[in-house]
Amino acid sequence: MFNIESNWMRSGFFAALIAVPVGLAAPAVAQDVYPSADQKLDWTIAFGPGGGNDLMARTIIDILTKYELYPGNISPQNRAGGSGAVGWGYLYGQSGNPYGISTTSGSFVTTPLQADTPWEPSDFTPVALLATDDLVLVVNGSSDIQNIEDFIAAAKAKPMNIGGTGTVNVDFIVPSLFAEKAGFEFEYVSFNSMADQTTALLSEALDAMVGNPGEILGMIDSGDLRPLVYSGDSVPEGLEGVPTMAELGYDIGVSMPRGLILPPDVPVEAQEWWIATMKKVVETPEWTTYIKTNTLTPTVIYGEDFRTFLTETKDGFEKVLRSVGAID
Amino acid sequence: MDIFGDLLMGLSIAITPINLLYLLVGAMVGMVVGVIPGFGPSAGLAILLPVTFGMDPTGAIMMLAAIYYGAMYGGTITSILLNTPGESATVASTFDGYPLAKKGRAGPALVMQAVASFVGGTVGVILITILAPMFAQVSRSFGPPEYFLLAMMGMLTLVVMIGNHWKLGLISALIGFALGTVGVDLESGQGRYTFGSAELIGGIYFIPIAIGLFGLGELFYSFYVGMHRSGSGGIVQYDKEAEFWPSAHDWLSTRMTMVRGSILGFVVGVIPGAGATIASLMAYSTERSMSKTPEKFGTGEMAGLVAPETANNAASSGAMIPLLTLGIPGSASTAVLLAAFMLWGLRPGPLFMEQNPELAWGLIASMYLGNMILLAVSIFAIPLFVQIIKVPYRLLGPVIVVICALGTFSVHASFIETYLMFAAGIVGFFMRLYGFSPAALVLALVLGPLAEEALRQTLTISRGSGMIFLERPASRWIIAVTIMLVIVLPLMSRFGKSAGEAEKAGT
Repeated sequence: MFNIESNWMRSGFFAALIAVPVGLAAPAVAQDVYPSADQKLDWTIAFGPGGGNDLMARTIIDILTKYELYPGNISPQNRAGGSGAVGWGYLYGQSGNPYGISTTSGSFVTTPLQADTPWEPSDFTPVALLATDDLVLVVNGSSDIQNIEDFIAAAKAKPMNIGGTGTVNVDFIVPSLFAEKAGFEFEYVSFNSMADQTTALLSEALDAMVGNPGEILGMIDSGDLRPLVYSGDSVPEGLEGVPTMAELGYDIGVSMPRGLILPPDVPVEAQEWWIATMKKVVETPEWTTYIKTNTLTPTVIYGEDFRTFLTETKDGFEKVLRSVGAID
Repeated sequence: MDIFGDLLMGLSIAITPINLLYLLVGAMVGMVVGVIPGFGPSAGLAILLPVTFGMDPTGAIMMLAAIYYGAMYGGTITSILLNTPGESATVASTFDGYPLAKKGRAGPALVMQAVASFVGGTVGVILITILAPMFAQVSRSFGPPEYFLLAMMGMLTLVVMIGNHWKLGLISALIGFALGTVGVDLESGQGRYTFGSAELIGGIYFIPIAIGLFGLGELFYSFYVGMHRSGSGGIVQYDKEAEFWPSAHDWLSTRMTMVRGSILGFVVGVIPGAGATIASLMAYSTERSMSKTPEKFGTGEMAGLVAPETANNAASSGAMIPLLTLGIPGSASTAVLLAAFMLWGLRPGPLFMEQNPELAWGLIASMYLGNMILLAVSIFAIPLFVQIIKVPYRLLGPVIVVICALGTFSVHASFIETYLMFAAGIVGFFMRLYGFSPAALVLALVLGPLAEEALRQTLTISRGSGMIFLERPASRWIIAVTIMLVIVLPLMSRFGKSAGEAEKAGT
């Protein structure tokens, strides 16, 4: 918002002030080194302030600033609209520019499936997958179903109603794949928000629901909701004793990627610089706190492996969604 | 549970100088946020959230909550003076607030709205104090079937709003329903009328439409009738010397309106998803149907302003109940508050009040103080705000256009929504010109998608059987109340009318 650089007169003035001492201290080759302290990093946040993507972007920026990992100015800009299409579209337009960057979330995979975006997730230069959003399956605390074995048995006898947020979303994909592997059928009931589906479950309109554990841990603690199974590799704090889908032998291999990307076709030095820097970021206590308070699964993959992960996730989603006719 | 002990403990926390300062800042910011059309409390909260990092959580949450309910005070000021609701919950306040200002009663209207807001807000907090544990149970019994029935109940408001030109009103509502179908269908995940545009995936948001229809539409109409040529004076005649304080009749005639508005608003506010906007619209229509002089509504009836104002403030208090007792946000604003709780590592849920009594009761106590601060601030600031209407219209007009555009853009930073707002402004002008009902359009746009989603969720759950509405106790209650409203309200208004006529005949 208060972008000093946009005022060319003032920036020219500052540049003149700074250029003299810097010019004396640093050799001319500093121009070629990435990242240059003179270049502003244009950090696109494809969602509005206060959301999950915004929070992650600002957490990383705070860490970069606190530990002085990035030499220049970082300018975070919220470019919300079209479930991320606007922000990532803006980044896509900066092909080759190593000073554009953005964070991803679930919509990075799902929006191109729903709308006619000019880009695909794999078009961007991948830096790292940092964490994944995984889901917990819960039933009402007053339910007779005590554990996942009870649940599967009951669901095989009579199809259940399972709630989730949205349809072109991991909330629908995860129970679909799980049900396929565990061999039961269910009706998926789609809600607009976590709050709506939680109310529906508490009112006993739903039999079960899937959701991000962070938002419902309070109700799990109080016994109002009973957790049955978790979709991530390892259960977060607060869900100790809950089995993962993989432990039951029903590994579904799908989760929502929270990562970092650069525009398409960025020089490999820039990609490598960011990979090296993110390796430092994920070691900080601030990052650990962020992962913990948001009950994310710390899944770290770098560079091209992240691109492969994105392609596989997208293909998996596409297959399930096409089979139910949600997309064509 | 010892409620008074808890409340006293909360008060001792809220009344420390630093917390009072946070509260004052929050209240002032809230009013300003409310005054700017389109810039609602949820957007204001989201943007100010990062400012509170590093603050003590109790003070920060008191401040954020004050922004939230303070916006309800501020939002009405532009509803009355400019016919432009500062935010969605004050749409209903334009119906009689603006005509009042036009009649030269802007001063009393603003004082009454501040008092009504104070009464609604304070009654709401008193009810939170007493009923928090009980209401947790009520909001817990609401699922999709109940939401659908609730939306149906809201549609009754539509019937009232359509008014005398029923054909035009019906068309207005149908346009609203049609606009409500745009976006990705929640159930199947398929785009409806999105034409491949990513901007339309999320559907058409009602804020740009409301700002355009009410704000710009009114502005264009004013230019059409040549108001900008009347050199001196603003939109409405206002003489500060003549009248500032409300008359005895204003007070007496709205006593019961305040009571009804407070209770109705609070109850609707407690129900997650219903919120202050629906509460204010329902309060308006209820008041109108109970009035002895329903024909005066829309022409500058004080009760028509007081009802939605008490209701939206009481509803914003009521919405704190599911947030504090269940960790379920009932509105966009309380969703941001929930995010704030989580940022501080607090865990919202049924045990929240037990585990964090200082914070929960400090917050509740601060809401009593906050409403007092807001009442004082509103009344002192009114002479300042009414200066707006002394500005000649030809100068004010462009400012309103800028505020509408900026306000719309600030919500989602979306150009498409800003264009939509301008388009809605042009449509609003013609609707105004030919007697259509912009209010019916906006309400249909809000309720349509709500009803559709809830009905489809309900029928998915029941495998297509409508019996589910009769099987669930909460549903049966809502059906009973709706039937009561349908039968009783017209009867009551008829009795009221005939009683009024009898009185007249007697004298």
